[in-house]
Amino acid sequence: MPEGILCNKQPIVTDEQLKLTLGDKSGKQYYAEMEQLEVDTDKLWSTIQNTMKSRLKTWLNICAKCGLCADSCFLYECNDRDPRQVPSAKIHATLGEIVKRKGKVDNAFMRKCMDIAWSWCTCCNRCGQFCPHGIDMGVMFSYTRGLLFSQGFVPWELKIGSGMHRVYKAQMDVTTEDWVDTCEWMADENSEEWPGLEIPVDKEDADIMYTLNAREAKHYPEDIAEAAILFHVAGENWTVPSEGWEQTSLTIFAGDWEGCKQQVLHVYDAIERLRPKRVVGTECGHAHRATVIEGPYWAGREDGQPPRPYIHYVEWLAEMLRTGRIKIDPAKRIKEPVTLQDSCNYVRNQGLKNITREIMSYLVEPGYFVEMAPNKEYNYCCGGGGGFNGIGKYRPQRNIALLKKREQILATGCKLVVAPCHNCWDAIRDLEEEYPIGIRWSFLKPLVIKMMIVPDHLKPQDEEGEEE
Amino acid sequence: MKKKILLATTGSPASFGAARVAFEMAKRYDAELLLFHVAGVPKKGFSYQEVNDVRSQETVQVDDDYMAWVEEELKNTYAKQLEECKNARIILATGLPHREILRAARDEDVDMIIMGAHSGDSSDIYSKGYPGSTLQRVAKAAKCPVMTVHRESASYMGGFSHIVFATDFSKQSESAFKYALSMAKEFDCEMTLFHALDITSKVLAQSDIEDKLITLRKRLRDVYGPKMGDFKNFEVDVWEGNPYVEIVKIARERMADLIVLAHNTRELDPEQARMGSTLEQVLLRANCPVVSVNRPDKV
Ligand code: SF4
Ligand code: SF4
Ligand code: SF4
Repeated sequence: MPEGILCNKQPIVTDEQLKLTLGDKSGKQYYAEMEQLEVDTDKLWSTIQNTMKSRLKTWLNICAKCGLCADSCFLYECNDRDPRQVPSAKIHATLGEIVKRKGKVDNAFMRKCMDIAWSWCTCCNRCGQFCPHGIDMGVMFSYTRGLLFSQGFVPWELKIGSGMHRVYKAQMDVTTEDWVDTCEWMADENSEEWPGLEIPVDKEDADIMYTLNAREAKHYPEDIAEAAILFHVAGENWTVPSEGWEQTSLTIFAGDWEGCKQQVLHVYDAIERLRPKRVVGTECGHAHRATVIEGPYWAGREDGQPPRPYIHYVEWLAEMLRTGRIKIDPAKRIKEPVTLQDSCNYVRNQGLKNITREIMSYLVEPGYFVEMAPNKEYNYCCGGGGGFNGIGKYRPQRNIALLKKREQILATGCKLVVAPCHNCWDAIRDLEEEYPIGIRWSFLKPLVIKMMIVPDHLKPQDEEGEEE
Repeated sequence: MKKKILLATTGSPASFGAARVAFEMAKRYDAELLLFHVAGVPKKGFSYQEVNDVRSQETVQVDDDYMAWVEEELKNTYAKQLEECKNARIILATGLPHREILRAARDEDVDMIIMGAHSGDSSDIYSKGYPGSTLQRVAKAAKCPVMTVHRESASYMGGFSHIVFATDFSKQSESAFKYALSMAKEFDCEMTLFHALDITSKVLAQSDIEDKLITLRKRLRDVYGPKMGDFKNFEVDVWEGNPYVEIVKIARERMADLIVLAHNTRELDPEQARMGSTLEQVLLRANCPVVSVNRPDKV
C-alpha cells in the first residue's frame, strides 16, 4: 500500500481529515498504516538535493565521531549512557544513512528514523555548544524531521498538530469567533476586580500587540486575563489581533516546513495590518523560536527580523519592573528557596538568560534564588521539548527524559520552580506526577499579580464590606 | 422564574443531592435543564485528546466512542429523573471543570448553576464530586446564582419554607439579597436576615459585644427594611462567633431549607481562598442547599 487513509504523505488540510485522524484511538490505525507506507525514494533524494544546505552537508562530513558531544546530551545520560544515544551516533544512524544511500531506504528504516528523531532528540541544541566543530544535532534533527514528515513518517499527534495549524491557524480547534469571544469573556469576568480592564481586539497603531498560545484560549483563559491585568496595571496601550494571534507552531515540532511558514505569516500579517510599535509574546519558548528566531527565515524576510520588534514576555516584564511601571511589594517577595527553568528556546537560542534573572531579583527576597546546575545556556532541556511532551507513543521514553530535570531540581533543594515556558511548565508538572518530589511550579504572570502593588486608582471603588 | 438551569455533575453519588434539587427545580419552574459533565482534564500539553477521566482519574483517549459511552452512563444514572423531565439536554465537555462550567454557563446564558460540592485533598476527590477549588472558582466568577448541595440529605424535597440570607454588608451582598428576597416572595416563605459578628480574631468584652449586636441589628433593619417592599414575613438577627458556624447554626435553628449568601472573597488564588472561606465552610456544613451570589446579573 503506497499511502494510507490516515497515514500518508499529504499534510492534513481539511476539517474532515482532521476529525478522521483525531477519531483514531491513540493512532492505532495510523501507525498500522504506517507500516505499509511506501517510501518515495526518488522524491526523498531529490528533496535532499534541493533542501540540504552546505552547512548540514559539511557538518555530516566533518563530524569526527570523536564523541566529545556525548556527555552534553541529557538523553544520553538518562539512558544509561547508551552509545547509540550519543548525538553524532544518532544523526549518523538516521540522516547520515539516508544521505549515504542516496535516499534508497525502506519503510522499516524510516520508522526507526522517526523513533530516533522524535524520541531520542528534543532539538534542544545543547550538544552544539560542546562540539569542537560547532555541529548542532538539534538543527540536524529538525531538518531530518522535515524529511520524515514529507514522507509521512511523523508521530500521530504531530500530524494532527500540524493539521490543526493548517485548518484552524492554531494548534487547537479555536476559531476566530471562539478566540474573540474568549477575550470578551475574560475581560468581563475580571472587570469587577479590575475596573476598566479591557482586552482590545484589532486596535490599530497600539504600542503593543500581544500573541499567545492557543492552549490559553482553549483551556487556560485565565492566562489571557492575567496578561490583560498586567498590561492594564502597567498602563500599556495594547491589543490582540482577531486573526494571527496564535504564536505557537506545532508545525516546527512536526517538521512541516510549509506549515511553519503559513503559521508565522498569519502572525506577521496581523502585525502589518495593525501596525503595533512592538509585539509581545506569551511565556512560551518554542512560540518565540517560531515567530522571532526562525520565523523570519521561513517567511523569507531578508533582514531576518519580524516586521516589528518582537519580544518575549520576560523581556517585557523585566522592562516593566526595571522602569517601575509594575512595582513589587517587598513584603510579598518570595521567601523560600526558588529555582528557575531556563527555556532552551529563548535562553539558549536567544540569550535571554540575564533578563530572566533580573526578573527573579525583583520577585525573590535576596538569598532565596537558587540556580540549577548547570544553568543559563548550558541548562538541560526540561525533558519534554520538541514535541516529546505530547506524543503518546513515546511517553515511556519521555518519562525517562524527565529524570535529568528531576535530578537538577532535587539538587537545588527548592520546592518552587518558576517556568516561563508552557512546555517546560508541562514537563515539570508531569515530572511531579510521574515521580512525586513535592514541588510546585508557576508561570511568571500569576506570581507577579500576587506580588505587585496595585495603584489605588485601579482598585475597585465603593469597597464597603465589613462593618467597623 | 428560572428559565435555564445548568446542573454540573460528575455523575457520582456525591452529586446526587445536587441533581435531585436541579430536577425538582426544573420541574417546578418548567425550566430547561442542562445536564453538564466535564469528561476529563486535558493531560498532555497539546495532545489534548488524552484526558484524565474525571471520575476514575485514569488516562483515556477522548474520541466519539468514549464520549458516547459517557453520555450513556449519564443517561443511565439519571434515567428516572430524565424520564420525568422532558426539557433536558446533556452537554459534554473536556477541560478544567471550573472553566468549562463557566464557559457553558456563559454560552448558554443560564439563570442558575447547581453543583455538588466537595472539599478536601484526598486523591480520589473526583470520585466524590468537584473539588472545593472548582466550586470556589465557579462561585467567584459566575454571573448567575450558584447553588451547591453538599450531601443528599441536604437536598430539598419540595418548595422552600424558610430562607436564611446571611450578609456581610458587602456590595455582593446586595445582589444576594435581591435574589433571596425574590425567592422568598416566589415561595411565599419566611426569611431571616442575618449577620454574624466575627469575634474570632479579636478579644472583646461582653458589653462591647452586646453593644455591637444592637448596632448591627439596627443596621440590618436600616439597610434591608426599606427594601422589603410589601414582603412582611421576615425577621432580623445578629449572632456573634465564627461566621460560618453561626450561619449554619441559625439555619438549623430556623429549620431553613435554603441559605443565600454572597461570595465575595478577594483572594485571587482559589487554592488559598479555599480553606478559610465562609462560603465553602457553610456549604460543607449546611443541611440545606446553599446559594451564593456574586454579581447583580440574573438575580
Ligand atoms: S558532533 Fe562534534 S563532538 Fe560530536 S562526535 Fe561529531 S565532531 Fe565530535
Ligand atoms: S539537540 Fe539536545 S537532545 Fe538532541 S542530541 Fe543534542 S543535546 Fe541531545
Ligand atoms: S520545553 Fe523548555 S526546556 Fe524543553 S526544550 Fe523546550 S524550551 Fe527547552
